[in-house]
Parts: sequence; C-alpha cells; structure tokens
Amino acid sequence: MQRTRGSGRILRNTTLILLALLWAVPTWLVLVNASVPAGDYSGSPHWWPQGFGLFDNMAQAWDRARLGPAMGNSLLYAVTSSLLAILLAVMAAFAAVVMPVRRRTLWFWLIYSGALLPLQVFLRPLFLSYANLDLYDMQLGLVLVYAAIAVPFAFFIMRNYAMTLPREVIEAARIDGASWWRLFWQIHVPLSKSAMVAAFVFQFVAVWNDMLFGITLSASRNIRPVMAALAELQGVYTSVGPPVVLGGAILVSLPTVVLFFCAQRFFVNSLKLTR
Amino acid sequence: MSTSTTRPASGAGRQEPDGPTPTESRARPSAPRDVAARRAALRDRLASGGFLAPAVLLVGALLLAPFAATLWRSFSDDHRNPGFAGLDNYTLFFTNENLVRSVENTLMWVAGTVILPCALGLAIACMTDATRWSRFARLCVVAPYALSGAAVAVVWNFVLSSDGALNQLVAALGFDPPSQGWLLEWPGNTVVLILANTWQATGVAVILFLVGLQGIAPETLEAASLDGASPWQRFRHVVLPQLRPVSIIVIGMSLANGLKSFDLIWVLTRGGPGRSTETLAVSMYQETFLLQHEGAGAAIAVVLTLIVLAASWLYLRRQLDAKGD
Repeated sequence: MQRTRGSGRILRNTTLILLALLWAVPTWLVLVNASVPAGDYSGSPHWWPQGFGLFDNMAQAWDRARLGPAMGNSLLYAVTSSLLAILLAVMAAFAAVVMPVRRRTLWFWLIYSGALLPLQVFLRPLFLSYANLDLYDMQLGLVLVYAAIAVPFAFFIMRNYAMTLPREVIEAARIDGASWWRLFWQIHVPLSKSAMVAAFVFQFVAVWNDMLFGITLSASRNIRPVMAALAELQGVYTSVGPPVVLGGAILVSLPTVVLFFCAQRFFVNSLKLTR
Repeated sequence: MSTSTTRPASGAGRQEPDGPTPTESRARPSAPRDVAARRAALRDRLASGGFLAPAVLLVGALLLAPFAATLWRSFSDDHRNPGFAGLDNYTLFFTNENLVRSVENTLMWVAGTVILPCALGLAIACMTDATRWSRFARLCVVAPYALSGAAVAVVWNFVLSSDGALNQLVAALGFDPPSQGWLLEWPGNTVVLILANTWQATGVAVILFLVGLQGIAPETLEAASLDGASPWQRFRHVVLPQLRPVSIIVIGMSLANGLKSFDLIWVLTRGGPGRSTETLAVSMYQETFLLQHEGAGAAIAVVLTLIVLAASWLYLRRQLDAKGD
C-alpha cells in the first residue's frame, strides 16, 4: 500500500515537472533572447543570458514599428470602448432584470447573439459601410466596433450578476417613488460594481489583444492598434533580428500580463459568472 | 397614447379593471385611476425601452446588420455586377481544394482544441497542490494565457524557424532536424500550430478546473477513502462527476476559441505555404480581402457561424435550461 502510494507520487511529480518544463522553456527562451543585445546576437538562439539589452531592444522595436503611437491607440480603444460597452450593458441588464419588460427572452437573445457569431461575419459589411461613412481608418470607428463587440458578453455577465442581487431594495425604493434613473445610478450601479470591474478587465484584455479589426478597419500607423504593429514588426523579423522582435512582443504584452496577474481574482470571478 | 387605451398594459402585477363589457368599464368613477395606471405602465415600458435601446441599437447596427448583409451576400456571385447565385458559393466547399483543405484543418483544430487544452488543464489542475514548487509549475502553464495571439505567434516563430531553438535542440540531442522545417509540410504544420495554440490556451482550462475543484465537498472524498476507494477510483467516481458543469464550460470555451483563432495562424504562416494551414477563419479573410471573392468569403463566414453555433450549443443549452426565463 505504502509503496504504490510512493511510486504514484513519483510518477505524478515527474509528469508535472515535464509539463512545466515544456511550458517554461519557450517563455525562458523569449526572456533570454529578448535580453541579448541586438548587436551580439549570433544567429542562433541563446539558452543562457548574455549581457542585458532588453530595454535597448524594446526601444528599437518602439522606433522601428512605431509601437509608441500604436500602444497609445490601443490604450485609448481598450479604455473607452470597454467603458462605453459596460455602461450600455449594465443599463440593458438593469432593464432586462429589474424593470417590468415584456419579451425578456427576445431582448436577451437580441443582445447576446452578438457574442456567439464569429468576428468574420462582420468584417466585410463593416469595412464597406465604414468606407462609405468615413469611419475607415478613424479612431472613432475602431472605438465603436470594439464597444459593439464587447457589449454582448458584458451584458451576459452583468445580467447574470443582476439576477443574484436582492430585489427588495429596489422594490422598496420604487414604492417610495424614486425614478428608474435614480434607482439605476444610486442603487443598481453601486451594487454591480464588482461585476463591472470584472467585465472591464475582461474586455480591456480582449480589445488590447485584438488584431483582426485592427488590420481590417485601419491602415495608417497613427490609427492602428498595437497588435497590428506587432504583426508588422514580425514581418521584418530577419532584418531587425530576433532580440528586437521578441523585445517588442514582451513590451506589448506587459499591460495585459500585469493586469492578468493583478486581477487574477477578477478573471476567475468573471469566468465563473459565465456559468 | 393609442396603445395605452387599446392594449391592456402589463405593468408589474397591476390589476386591470377590464369589465365584462367595454361600456361598463368606462364608467365614470373608475376611469381616472384606470387611465393613471395605464399611463404609469406605459411610462415604465418607455423607460425600460430607453434603458435597453442603446445596447440594442449598437449591437443591431454594428453586429446584427452586418451579419444579415453577409448572409445575403453569400447567395450572390463574384462577377462585376453580382447577381443571385443560389447555393453556388456553398458548393465551393466540395469543389475547391483550398476550401476542402481548410475544412480538414478546421476539424483538426476542433479535435486538437477540445482534447489537448482540456485534458492537460484537468491533469495539471488535479496534480498540483498547495506546495510552493507545484504552484510554480502551475504558474508556468498559466502565464502564456495572458499573451495575445500575435505575441504567441512571435514566440513560436522564434522557436520553429529554421535557425530556431527547436532545431538547435534537436541537433544538440544528436538527431537531424526535419529538412522540411516545421511549418512547411501538411498536415504536420497544422499540428504544430495546434500545439502552439495549446501552449497558450491550457492556462484558462487550468484556472477553470481549479475553480471547479474548489467546489468539491471534501466530505465526499473522505467518505470514498473510508470506503476503501483507490486514488484513481476516487478521481473517476467522485471528482470527475462533480467537475461536469465546469468541464462543459471549458470544452465550450476552447472549442469556440479554437474555431475563431486567426491571429496565431495569420502572423505565423499567413495560411501558407500554399494555403495549407488555413482554417475557415483565415480562408474567409483570404478570399474576401486578398482574392476579392466576396461571395465565397461570405459563404465561408456563414459556414463558420454554423459550426460555431453548433459547438456553442453544448453550453448554450444549459443557459437555456437554467435561465431561459
């Protein structure tokens, strides 16, 4: 009995170590080679640190691929479109759960259906109408499309959260004659704050990491989001050298990685809410 | 105003004094209260409409209307003045070898994204415990989840390129690196792409399974060990059934993400060489924006939608059952 237990533990630990190595090796190689000064890169990957040029490499990537404006754009898109989407979603969830609405199921599916469709079905018509409406290659156009993409899932989170909130407070305030507008801002929004933060983190990461809309609905370097710029940097891989490209990849990933590890609790909560 | 007098308002449980005959119900004494109640109900409905409208309008204008346009476009041909083409664009799935390859690749992605991240995520979530080194092992697996598809492509390009790390490792171990490279020969290149996707996607499965494991009552495990169940039996008959709800979410999520994955393939191979690594998501972009076959691209988008919807049905059904309302 004792022996089988011991051998089971050894088996388990070896598997775990092997899996962890499999995952850690690419990460390690990226960190090491992004730190090799670009001039010292010998043509084949380094397995151990040699010199420290991470910041120089990042600075080169920043200049070569104009990562600076792209990161500024993505920050703008991610913050404004997430805020807009969450405001609209929490309003719709308030109406769908708290207010007397007929055909709740219809409204739910009308908004939520957007989350089920693959992005590819929107691309061509959006591209055409953006070209007609002078929204193509405009910051406003990207903010609108990112907000529209974010609304359905944010609505789903906010609605599921709203259904767990106690109804008595709202009903009491309603009997006291408070308007829906006041109920929404003074009771519903404060109560929903934690789910709103979770949805914000979730949508911020989704917008920051998007590339498809970036390459479809924008072209110029001062409009496009950051992942489109990274794709371009990858396209000149051989001329700038791996350390610079990897440094650029680390640079553009920093915001989401930091957010992810700071807000892991929110991630888990927002994922749990999707049940 | 006409709706409030012709239709009974469905306010929150308000009693509508509808008399047996219309003339009676309009009797003098009850009329003002009746009208006031109807007005209040109408106001509530208008207010709720106002709260719903912004979200509905944005989703309708930027998502549902384009979807309808794509659906419509998929039935037109790609001539200079597109005419009605019936199902011609859809028959391309049987005649065009690029699309056949794309469907094959998509099916490989479906299989790969359901089996690998879910099985590995479950294994890692179950094998790690609270000890420090196993928490570190878990962190190694979870960390890539924070990267974008484009960043993952950059990482794997570095590993897989001909003077990359993998070939170096293979050579150091005394083998010959494959002369074809890792991303040139089908079906190996699609398998490699799926593995790169697994590297990124397993993290979220680990997190979700950990959440699920925390929800398992320790008494059930204790009871099973008192009954003399082996660790495997405990896992198989106590843990696994209780993980069912979370497993459905994990499978549904990785399926949807796998079907939609575009960035990784696009940055790493552009669907090539010779369109051999395209999935439907990439083929749609290729046909629509690079080859100017908008009808074919629209048909691919519609087929992709059908596959995604069929895959989502798995956990949508639960949503309908539980909160269909």
